Amino acid sequence: MDEYILDVPVEPPKELRSLFIPVPPDYVEEAYRSDEFLILVGPQHPGSGHMRLIVKVKGDIIQEVIPDPGYVHRSMEKLAENRLYIQNIPLFERPAIMDAANFNLGYVRAIEEALDIEVPERAKYIRTILAELCRIGTHLYDAAILAVFIGHTTGFMWPFGIRELICEALVRITGARFTSSFIIPGGVRRDVDESTLRFVYDSTFAIERRLESFEKIFIKNPTVVARLQGVGVLTKDEAIKHGVVGPFLRASGVEYDVRKVEPYEMYDELTWDIPVSDDGDGYSRFLVRVNEISQSLSIIRQCIMRMEEGRVISDQICENGKEIRGNFFDALGNIVLPAGEYTTLTEAARGLLLYTVISDGESNVPYRVRIVTPGWLYLKGFMESLRGERLADLQAIYGSFGYFPPEADR
Amino acid sequence: MFAEYIAYLFDLFTKNMVSIPLIQPIVDYLLQIPLINLIVALILWRPFFAVVIAPGLGVLILYLLYIVWFERKLTARVQWRVGPLEVARPIRGAIQALADGLRYFFQEAIVHNEAHRPYFIQLPILAFIPVLLPILFIPAGNVVGIKSPFAIQLIVSFIALIPVTVVAIGWASNSRFAYIGSVREAFMYFAYEVPFIIAVMSMIFLYGSGDPFIAVEKQTIPGAFLNPVAFIVFIIAMLMATSRLPFDIPEADQEIAFGPFVEYSGILFGLAMTLAYEKLYLMALLFTLLFLGGWSGPEFYLLGDLMPVIWLLLKTIVVISIIALVRSIYARYRLDQALRIGWTSILALSLVALVIGVIGAWLA
Repeated sequence: MDEYILDVPVEPPKELRSLFIPVPPDYVEEAYRSDEFLILVGPQHPGSGHMRLIVKVKGDIIQEVIPDPGYVHRSMEKLAENRLYIQNIPLFERPAIMDAANFNLGYVRAIEEALDIEVPERAKYIRTILAELCRIGTHLYDAAILAVFIGHTTGFMWPFGIRELICEALVRITGARFTSSFIIPGGVRRDVDESTLRFVYDSTFAIERRLESFEKIFIKNPTVVARLQGVGVLTKDEAIKHGVVGPFLRASGVEYDVRKVEPYEMYDELTWDIPVSDDGDGYSRFLVRVNEISQSLSIIRQCIMRMEEGRVISDQICENGKEIRGNFFDALGNIVLPAGEYTTLTEAARGLLLYTVISDGESNVPYRVRIVTPGWLYLKGFMESLRGERLADLQAIYGSFGYFPPEADR
Repeated sequence: MFAEYIAYLFDLFTKNMVSIPLIQPIVDYLLQIPLINLIVALILWRPFFAVVIAPGLGVLILYLLYIVWFERKLTARVQWRVGPLEVARPIRGAIQALADGLRYFFQEAIVHNEAHRPYFIQLPILAFIPVLLPILFIPAGNVVGIKSPFAIQLIVSFIALIPVTVVAIGWASNSRFAYIGSVREAFMYFAYEVPFIIAVMSMIFLYGSGDPFIAVEKQTIPGAFLNPVAFIVFIIAMLMATSRLPFDIPEADQEIAFGPFVEYSGILFGLAMTLAYEKLYLMALLFTLLFLGGWSGPEFYLLGDLMPVIWLLLKTIVVISIIALVRSIYARYRLDQALRIGWTSILALSLVALVIGVIGAWLA
């Protein structure tokens, strides 16, 4: 395409120096002098979430995007320093409430690692089921947001309808639709009975059937394919260089999954595959997650089939192995971690999740907790993939990454 | 002098009245009462009836109430929801659009400082003119505003004026999103208008005239079967022209927040928002005339002249109701993709349709 240079002298306004703007004034002045211009998308824009994107465009082509995150920052790391270890469990599932079990799991495993607690097998199975249920729920949520970003309202409503089954399963297991704080150091809060497991097992098939109709209307819809294919491409090298994680890294052709690399809970004993794609575009990022849903459903079924009766709370924590009710605070209220630094890696729905708990060895609150969420890790890759695309693709790429500002901002 | 004038008007109206045998006794009785007879004669005067009642303004307003409700209800049913329900529960929320309209009417219409005030306020009202003008020329059997041998060409040219007002609305708003929206509207306008006009031209060739009466007369087989390619082109152009979903590009709410209409509020927004629906109504009427046999259908003696009107409206409403389904099936194309579709495949199809039309005219 030929480039026509428009040399229109434009004076930058004087307010540039006196009023607050979220980018350096020199950057704006440079845009005024060249034939590029800046568009501020967000934080109140319908297609941006709680984040501002400073988009530099030349005509319709995006040259550069500067993110301005932090609008939903809640200072979780600082809050955690003033709370008991067990009080931090409900706090740390707040970054991404639809992915609560995975966020709990990472933090609780750090405590277990410090205290050397052996978790009973049945509890591990229940934790795996919860983590996979939350993973499916998050993927469906992201698919819905992607659909509404590219204007497909049916693709928005159906995943939320399917997700009701996940919520119902979580209600029957834990008592809450999400943010259940069900995972505690040493196991889970209480045992799950046979009829609930039967419901979860049956609902996996119900979800599978509904996903087939979702595939017809949304996943294989020609307009959706046209919008997502070949858009926002991250090659394998770029994805590794910019530190992209999770399904988005796997969509660029890197076979990396924490559940395979450093297995935790029951993942090494179950049979499942890592969905990988080589294209690295928006559509493959979406398809990888769609395939992960079916893998997760298979994991849940295997867990339910292989589960055996037994304790769900470690005997190091409490006498009663079936339920912690009544002696939760006695057993866990005053735990003090030995001095040191404990790090766990977890594969949350949107990618790698890192917890570091630092203890001084004498107080019953953490000295420091560090949490690095997947959203924060792939933000750089997300911004790089926007380069060279059209302005209308901003929303499609945003949706294909499933970027969730509360998760990234913590 | 004044009485003579009244008598002249009364004579003019009664000579050309819609005859409906079902209500003829009542009409005859009313015509004997002074003053009321003039009003009744005016209402039943064919040009007035066509423009103000059916298929004109009155039906247009009823249609707007219906289509907004029906579209929301249909989309909701597809999406495992219930849709509008709380306004008038016994009739399943059917007057939801009326409630929305009332709310728009009493809401403050904000005009922001940057707007070009006179244009900003008058353009949504001005946009009504190209909506109302085609109605003059759309006939429904004997009920017709102005009879013209070039009616179809006139309808097409008046419909082509609507996007100009939309672009002007975006310009007068003087806002970034409105500006992008009106540029997109202008791009889309060119992409669909050329294939649309060629498709209509092919049908005019086929029927040998731009007169809807001749077009309907010649459709012993519906035009959709005579020239299926033009039929397809017309449908896609209709979707593009009315910003329906695969081509919902000028108003993309996630990208540019309703585009040209982003700054409007209150009754002005109500007027601007219904523009696309009104355009859909006009294009569906034209579609029915060209492809679905217009007002032809089984006659019913008691309804007389009203029967063709009912057939025309019935076919139009069915077409619109089917088109409303597209909203819940497709995602939005990007502007460049839509332009590529418009300027390559749809344009090529429309040329094929033109060839079919010319061959058809030659065979006849």
